[in-house]
Amino acid sequence: MNSTPTIEAKGTIWQKFVSLLNKIGFSPLGFVLLIILALLPNFYPFSQEYIVRWMIMGAFLAAQSVAFDFTAGYINIVNFGFAALLGVGAYTSGILANTTPFLLYAPGLNPWLTIWLGALMAALVGFLLGILTLRLRGIFAAVMAWFVGIALMGLVNNLTDLTRGPLGMNPVKFIETPNNLPYFYIILSMMIVIYITLKLVVGSNIGLAFKAIGQNPDAARASGINPTKYLVFNFTLSAFFAGLLGGFYAHFFGSLTPSTLMHTSKTVEVLAIAYIGGRGSLWGGITIAFPFVFFIEFLRSNLSSLPGLHLVIYGVLMIMIMIYYPSGFSGFYYWAVVKIKGLLNKTK
Amino acid sequence: MAKETSTAPTTTVNFITWIKDNLPVVIVTIFSIILFIMIGFEGGPPQLLNVIVTGCMWALLATGLALVFGVMNIPHFAHGESFMVGAYIAYFTFTPLNKIFLATGSKFLIYLGPFLAIIAAGLAGSVLGIIIEKLVFAPLRHRTKEGWIMNAFLLTVGMSFVLTNGTTLAMGPNFRGIPRYFDVPSVEIMGAFIAVDRIVAAIISLVTIGLLWFFLRWTKLGRAIRAVSQDETGAQLVGINLDFIQTFTFSLATGMAAISGASLLFMFQAYPTVGLTPLYFAWYVVMLVGLGNVAGAIVGGFLVALLQSGTQLFIGLSWQSVVPTAIMVLVLMLAPSGIFGSEVKGVQEQ
Repeated sequence: MNSTPTIEAKGTIWQKFVSLLNKIGFSPLGFVLLIILALLPNFYPFSQEYIVRWMIMGAFLAAQSVAFDFTAGYINIVNFGFAALLGVGAYTSGILANTTPFLLYAPGLNPWLTIWLGALMAALVGFLLGILTLRLRGIFAAVMAWFVGIALMGLVNNLTDLTRGPLGMNPVKFIETPNNLPYFYIILSMMIVIYITLKLVVGSNIGLAFKAIGQNPDAARASGINPTKYLVFNFTLSAFFAGLLGGFYAHFFGSLTPSTLMHTSKTVEVLAIAYIGGRGSLWGGITIAFPFVFFIEFLRSNLSSLPGLHLVIYGVLMIMIMIYYPSGFSGFYYWAVVKIKGLLNKTK
Repeated sequence: MAKETSTAPTTTVNFITWIKDNLPVVIVTIFSIILFIMIGFEGGPPQLLNVIVTGCMWALLATGLALVFGVMNIPHFAHGESFMVGAYIAYFTFTPLNKIFLATGSKFLIYLGPFLAIIAAGLAGSVLGIIIEKLVFAPLRHRTKEGWIMNAFLLTVGMSFVLTNGTTLAMGPNFRGIPRYFDVPSVEIMGAFIAVDRIVAAIISLVTIGLLWFFLRWTKLGRAIRAVSQDETGAQLVGINLDFIQTFTFSLATGMAAISGASLLFMFQAYPTVGLTPLYFAWYVVMLVGLGNVAGAIVGGFLVALLQSGTQLFIGLSWQSVVPTAIMVLVLMLAPSGIFGSEVKGVQEQ
């Protein structure tokens, strides 16, 4: 008699915890994996500096893929100028952190402040891009974003007074430290914040509206959804986070050139991760990015006589996924969960 | 009196409605004429000749792009890589051949060399096209047609990635180029000196486009291709082998891009990412005239060349990617289906 209520209470606490996790977009498994990921660089094989650097790259790529998937997976528009938005954030933040505007030879603003200004600048560009693509769908929207991206990259290349063009500029770093670990926690927390924010947005009514617009804009309009509002909101938010990540890039690497940051091939890298991870899941890209970066960096360091091999693998994998398994890793996960549950029910 | 008043206004009204219906074309035409005159004043005949030669190049590239889109509904992102493959093949055919022919000392053979290289590039490009179509697009087409345009686009993006980096892997990032195909002095036309290579490249692209037009217009296979571009189901009903037509079209377009890459080897040296600039400009052309509009692509090639030349002349060489892109963004915003208003198999819906 006495024992049942406590079990029930335990059950409810557990359920409450799970539902809380679900609300912010984690399954219990995912939460455990995230904690392991956060602790990983403190233990030996992973605490070496170069592996921490790989993990930073992984988190950076993962966070980008989340922001990218927010547009591509929900509203069904491939933002082909994503890398350029990243570059806008990075350059704005870098320039403001190096020199105070309108005051030559004055020390710049704090990078912790300027990354937000960079993000706002990118959000502004994303807002304009959203307005530009309003009337367009599918391939036309993708090409529009692509052209805007090319134009932005050309602009950065040509405004040599501000950006030093193809020579590249050197923004100050967040923290002067030889250690990479602080940067890992910065990017990891950025990734988590981006993921939770976007997951909350997607889980609300706004997310439903996104999906409706993505599937059939006319039907969405007919059922009282204003596509303009949601589309522009989606682009702005995605661009805001892209700009934030660009700011991280600027103050982590401490060097910026247009072609290493804003080139279309950078968008393609993010796109490949997001698609292999699974469209419309947000978390798919995160799970894929880390093993992928490890695999690729491993290849690059061990087969340095074969430059570009990792990128070939990227492309081939993406082609295979697109042809034969378009739902990606997240689709596979959901399929596996259903299968396992079915098996468990049978044994019961 | 009533008769008099009715005739005169109707013609003007007709004219006004015609202008209203064709507003994008009218604006672009007026703009191009102004630009042409300005370039003529500022740069003189050399610049105008340059526009024509560049226009031929972009037209050849863009017709391939338009053909692939019109027939197969593939927005081809890897078109520049076909260009790159053509450049490589031409380099590796031309350099040894030229050595051998120079040793023989025969004038005829020396002048034949470049053409052999270009033909070899065209053939290799066609074979590459067949391989890609069979390996990538045919499986996707047989799996699902849903969201085809976007999926095909992303597939070509992946292909471009694989081809560029595969070339880096196989050939290294080195530049491989030749100073010129024909070792003869420049020709003087209207007081402007122009290299023979450029004239030959322009002629080759014009001839290729002419052959393509003849092929599409007058042969049975060409009619079949046009039928598929108009209505796939209808074409199948009258017994056209869809798979064959699509493979053939893709191989044709890839071969054309390879020919243009080969004939421009003296300008664009062969290296893994050489295809990017030609790809950009070919895309400007097809977005300007409307996706899948083959005839429009020829006109569009010259319009874009004009724009490019004008930017170089009046704003600066480094802005030549920014200004045309900005104008294409405007075109996309105001007339998404291009200035000639093509509607290819309900693209807007997908």
